Amino acid sequence: MLSALGNPRQAAAQIMNFGLILSTAFMMWKGLSVITDSPSPIVVVLSGSMEPAFQRGDLLLLWNRNFLEETAVGEIVVYNVQGKDIPIVHRIVRKFGTGDKAKLLTKGDNNNADDTELYAAGQDYLNRKDIIGSVVGYIPFVGYVTIMLSEHPWMKTVMLGIMGLVVVLQRE
Amino acid sequence: MASQEKITVYNLADLKNTSDDALTNYLTSLKFTQTHRLTDVRLALGYSAFALSAACFAWDYKFGFEQTKYCTAVAVAIYTILNSFLTFWIFYVEKGTVYEGTSPSGQTAIKVSTSTNKNDPVYRVTVEVKDKKSGKKEVIKLEKEFREWFDVAGRFVAVPFQSVLATGVPAIGEVDTKRVQGAAESKKNETVTAAYTPELLEALANAGVVGSAGESASGTDAKKGGKRRKA
Repeated sequence: MLSALGNPRQAAAQIMNFGLILSTAFMMWKGLSVITDSPSPIVVVLSGSMEPAFQRGDLLLLWNRNFLEETAVGEIVVYNVQGKDIPIVHRIVRKFGTGDKAKLLTKGDNNNADDTELYAAGQDYLNRKDIIGSVVGYIPFVGYVTIMLSEHPWMKTVMLGIMGLVVVLQRE
Repeated sequence: MASQEKITVYNLADLKNTSDDALTNYLTSLKFTQTHRLTDVRLALGYSAFALSAACFAWDYKFGFEQTKYCTAVAVAIYTILNSFLTFWIFYVEKGTVYEGTSPSGQTAIKVSTSTNKNDPVYRVTVEVKDKKSGKKEVIKLEKEFREWFDVAGRFVAVPFQSVLATGVPAIGEVDTKRVQGAAESKKNETVTAAYTPELLEALANAGVVGSAGESASGTDAKKGGKRRKA
C-alpha cells in the first residue's frame, strides 16, 4: 500500500482523488449558494427561540429569491446582525414599505419581546439585504453534528485527517 | 522473495492492484518504454478542477459572497464541465488501461488493460498490440486465476506471472524468451501423465498378468479408472 507512494504519478493521482472529494463538496455548496442567492443556504438552529416550530440542532434550507412575491409578514427568515456572524432565525412581524427599501421587524416565536434589542446599536429595523434567506424546508436534529464541530473545533481536524488517510491508502 | 509484502488473498482489489503494479514493473524491466499520456491528461484535468475550486474559495473568503456571486457561478459551471469530462475520460478513454508503451525495438506499441468481475478471482487482461510499421492491430485476451501467481499466504510470485504474459502475448515473449513456456511444457503442468497407457494395460491383460480374460477386461477398466481419478 505504501509502495504506491514510490511512484510519483500514482502518489499524485491518490492525492488528486482526495483533493477532488473536498473540492466537489465545496463546489456543490457554492452551487447551491448561487442558485438560492444566499451566502449560506443551509443553517443550523442554535437557540430555542423558535420553539415549538424549530428545535436547537435542526437543519434549515433557505431560499433568497423573490420570484413570485416579496418577503412578507409571517415568513420565517434568517438574518445576520450587522457586524456579527451569527445567523438568527426569527419570524417577520412588521413590514413598512415595499421592495428593497422596506423595513422589517422580526421576533422569535418563543421570545417575549421583539428583536429590537438584538439589532446593532441605533438600528430599529432590518433591511431586505440583511436577510440571507427565507426558510423553505427543514430536517430535524441533523444539525447537531455542526454544533458539536463548532463547539469542539479539534473534531474537524480529526475527521479530515481520518478521511484523508482512508482515501490515500485505499485504491479501490 | 525475502521481505515480500503479503496481501489479503480474499481482497480482489488488492490482488488486482498488486498484479497491475507487477505488470508495469515487469514490462519496464524488459526495457519497454511507457507513455504516460493517459495518466497525464487525467492529472491535468483533476488538478485544474481542484485549482479552480481553490481559487473560488480564496476569492469568496476575501471578498465575501455578494461581490463574487457571478464569478462563483461561472466557476461552478466550469468545474462541473471539467469534472464531467474527467469522469468521461476515466470511463470511456482509459477503460481500465494499466500500461501503455512501446517495445524496446520501437516496432510495436502495446496497450494493456485489466479488469476483474466482482467476487470472481480471475484476472482478465486485454492486450492491444499494434505494429508501428504495418499498422496492423491485434487484440489478445488472457484470463487466468490469481492463484497461479499468489501463494496461499498472499505473497506474489513473479515467475509464473511473467510466464503467463510472455506465453500469452507474442510481443512480450519475443523480448523475454526465458519465460515463454512451450506448448508441451504447459500441457505437462496441466495434466499428470498416466504411468499406464490403455494400450499397455491391454497388452498386460492379454499376457495374463492381471488374471483371467473375463476379469481382465473389468480389471483394466478399474485400473484405468483408478489412474484417471488420480490424474
